[in-house]
Amino acid sequence: MMSVTADDLGSTIALDGGRKVRGNLTQARIRWMVLALVLGFGLVGGRLVQLGMVVPDTTIEGQARDAITATRPPILDRNGLEMAVDIRVPSLYAEPRRIIDVEEAVRKIRTVLPDLSEPWLRDRLTGDKGFVWVQRELSPAIEDRIMRLGIPGVEFLTESKRFYPGMSEASHILGSTNVDNQGIAGIERHMDGENVALLQELGLARGNALAPVELSVDMRVQHVMHEQLVDAMSRYQAIAAAGVMVDIHTGEVIALASLPDFDPNQPATALVKDSFNRITAGIFEPGSIFKTVTLAGALSSGAVTITDQFDARFGIRFGRFTIDDFHGKHRILSLPEVYKYSSNIGTIRVMQAMGKEAFRQFLTSMGFDARVPFELPEMRLPTVPKELSEVGAATASFGHGLSVSPLHMVAAYAAFVNGGNYVPPTLYRRDQAEAEQFYRRVITERASAQIRYLMRLNALEGSGSQMNKAALGYRIGGKTGTAEKVVDGRYSASKVTNFFGSAFPLDNPRYAMVIMVDEPKRENPQSGTTAGWNAGAVTGRIVQRVAPMLGIAPDFSPLIDEQLVPPELR
Amino acid sequence: MIRNLNIFLLFSSVLMLSGVYALKFAIENTASERTALIALIDSQEGDLSLLKADEAVLNQPGHIDPIVKRHQLALAIEPVKQEQFGSFTAIPMRPAKPNSAAMDSLFLSLEAGIDPIDAILELEGIE
Repeated sequence: MMSVTADDLGSTIALDGGRKVRGNLTQARIRWMVLALVLGFGLVGGRLVQLGMVVPDTTIEGQARDAITATRPPILDRNGLEMAVDIRVPSLYAEPRRIIDVEEAVRKIRTVLPDLSEPWLRDRLTGDKGFVWVQRELSPAIEDRIMRLGIPGVEFLTESKRFYPGMSEASHILGSTNVDNQGIAGIERHMDGENVALLQELGLARGNALAPVELSVDMRVQHVMHEQLVDAMSRYQAIAAAGVMVDIHTGEVIALASLPDFDPNQPATALVKDSFNRITAGIFEPGSIFKTVTLAGALSSGAVTITDQFDARFGIRFGRFTIDDFHGKHRILSLPEVYKYSSNIGTIRVMQAMGKEAFRQFLTSMGFDARVPFELPEMRLPTVPKELSEVGAATASFGHGLSVSPLHMVAAYAAFVNGGNYVPPTLYRRDQAEAEQFYRRVITERASAQIRYLMRLNALEGSGSQMNKAALGYRIGGKTGTAEKVVDGRYSASKVTNFFGSAFPLDNPRYAMVIMVDEPKRENPQSGTTAGWNAGAVTGRIVQRVAPMLGIAPDFSPLIDEQLVPPELR
Repeated sequence: MIRNLNIFLLFSSVLMLSGVYALKFAIENTASERTALIALIDSQEGDLSLLKADEAVLNQPGHIDPIVKRHQLALAIEPVKQEQFGSFTAIPMRPAKPNSAAMDSLFLSLEAGIDPIDAILELEGIE
């Protein structure tokens, strides 16, 4: 069959078979289709290749989960022993809108957790809420039992919980955390203030990636101090006992304990009355341990010398008050005797030789006007009168009429024996070079050497002999302080706060310590209630136990004590 | 030719279809394996944290000390006393060695018939 195709171009006449024309058309269409398909598949393929090239951003992955398991860094002591770790514990939550039978759920959950009150639980599980906590921080065993119940809408989530393996031993150092793993007291709270809270917010504090925090505390020494304080509480039927030990060259706190204390694993126990940190947040009249401060200041100022004599024959009158000595010698005393017999009169004379203005100035330079710069948030301002009257200066010279914390006293003692440099105490690791940047000279090196002699003398011949008996060979020296408590506006002879400020080994001093025993009773009829019998004895027992741990070997050579005697007195 | 192409396309699409499905299920399988592994790691990390806490408790001086006290009698142990510590200076010096050369020469001279003591005795006038 033939046909004539007439195009617009009338001049050309093409003669083609109809089949061929249709065939051409189909082939053209197929070609276009193939092209379209190739393009389409190419596009998809290209996109796939492109997607394959993309590197997924894994940093965001899993943030929702980790927001709740956000961890805190482990806290280690100076030997790397864990003082606080995070443990993963399951917490029970419910989605009330998914619970089908509330009554059944309540009944079943209470078979495993009978402590939950029935109406409370029913109230909790009823309603259209998407998420409610039922009980947080349970054990894996309980998780297993509840999962076995198979209640729809009741599930578990893993949370981080703080755990303190030392239990109550370092409670006042560590403080504690709340159920949301935020620090509420102690070093935990300080750490939050530093950076942990920020890290948690950013979602960076995940897994165990956080570098551990190293404290300056030595748990062995901490244990001994805690144990001895517990022993002192029962032995002397005291209402409280506390102690702190620092490295005098670096200011690192080696141990710090205060009784009564609490278990940081049960933060509720921290609220118990009287369990505050007496070392940092307790302020007390220091009593006679303050005489060391007066003597150090006077010796350093040059107002008195170690060879001076002081008239302690009669009490000193201020208007209608007369200040006299406890067990006074009532004769002329040399300066070492003033310290050894803890003479109030002699100390007042020393202070007067220095001048009360200079004495007040010295107290300021020792940091007795402000809080000790320290990491723990539990601090209290000391109360030291701005201006000292004649009688005020007199009583202040032997530690009455002013209140400071034991931490103030230990920092002062450390400065007096380390060569005269005040270094603020710290709970973090600090080496000698770092510490030297904080050094502030408060007394001369010569005065420091004389104070070391006086402290040792007091241990050998004075009120520290009870202490020295236990710690024989460790060249420890110290000063007792028995501060009578104010009861109904008068000083009471029966209620006393006892202190013992000490340092060891005095031939090459390394550690200073202050021990406090509050309202002690006699241990037996032969003993007394003054500080030498309790705070002093506790100090001796602690040193006997910890000195070998701290690498201090005993030495009984009498040569050591002879060398401590200043050249003027030899 | 077109029929061949069609057949080829048909087969290849069936093949690709099954391939894609296989891939999809493989991925889903891997994803669930991954989830299971994450859950396993999580629970193991939880167990690990508990074990670490256990270890920390067992290492505490406050945990060890009562054990020591409990076995004090049976093991006959007690806290170290100051007197038990020694120092390097307290160790006596090594005793002087006997002078073997002098002894040898003495015996040799005795064997040779010369007694050094004899001379002294004679000098002193003792027989």
